[in-house]
Amino acid sequence: MLQKPWFKVFVWFMAIFFFFLAAGVVISILKPGPSEAEVMRFMMGMMNAMDNSMMGVIMNMEGRGMVASVIALSSRIAVPVMIVSLLMGFGVRLMQRRDAYAKQKEN
Amino acid sequence: MNIRFDFVVHWLYAILWALLAISGFAMVGAKYGWILNFSYATADYVHRLSAGLFVIVTLASIVYEVWRSIRNDNKYLAWHVIGRSGYQLFTFIVTLILIITGALIWICIEFNMAGIGFALFVHEYISYIALASVIWHIYMKCHALTWPKKADSRKQKA
Repeated sequence: MLQKPWFKVFVWFMAIFFFFLAAGVVISILKPGPSEAEVMRFMMGMMNAMDNSMMGVIMNMEGRGMVASVIALSSRIAVPVMIVSLLMGFGVRLMQRRDAYAKQKEN
Repeated sequence: MNIRFDFVVHWLYAILWALLAISGFAMVGAKYGWILNFSYATADYVHRLSAGLFVIVTLASIVYEVWRSIRNDNKYLAWHVIGRSGYQLFTFIVTLILIITGALIWICIEFNMAGIGFALFVHEYISYIALASVIWHIYMKCHALTWPKKADSRKQKA
């Protein structure tokens, strides 16, 4: 697959994209400013996003109680779920070790 | 044609990460707005949609890795995005941090402003590290960019 010409073009495109993006970020960090015009355009874009993007929808949804209660519930169960998953992980590792030991004994 | 799961996930992950990176950096601040011509709404849409797909791809990779672990399959998957050591482990940790802080920014925007500020700070600075690591990763794997030699194909045809 990697040797196919169209895929090579895709790989080149991705590599160039990331190099240009990194260059853009470096330019953004090092350039002077932000100027007043840039700030205005950025703020206007943000205001526009409130009306014409998912941002406004999400902010309206968060004002409602149901999403808030779901978030409260999920943050309450997050720690127990993490502990259970850690214990399951250790369980799997122990099982693997036991199986490896049994295989060694067989041989 | 034999297409492997880890190969597909790797390139899906690369496309999604590229979309997330360009839209995310365009929203960092006024200095960065020019990256997407100050179109915050476009950046917001692209970032949120790609983030949803990114979480699904990451979840699928984690499930695949756990399944492999349960089956005692310790074979090294060169293309897999997450793994038990090296750059795969780094990607896994960075991905989890980005997903957790991203979810905090998305969900808790009205609950805890201090928390949001901290999550934004971590999300932004981890993204710089991740972008630098992607450049390093491309540099290390630059052999993937070499074009198949024409002389070889002529020989094969003959």
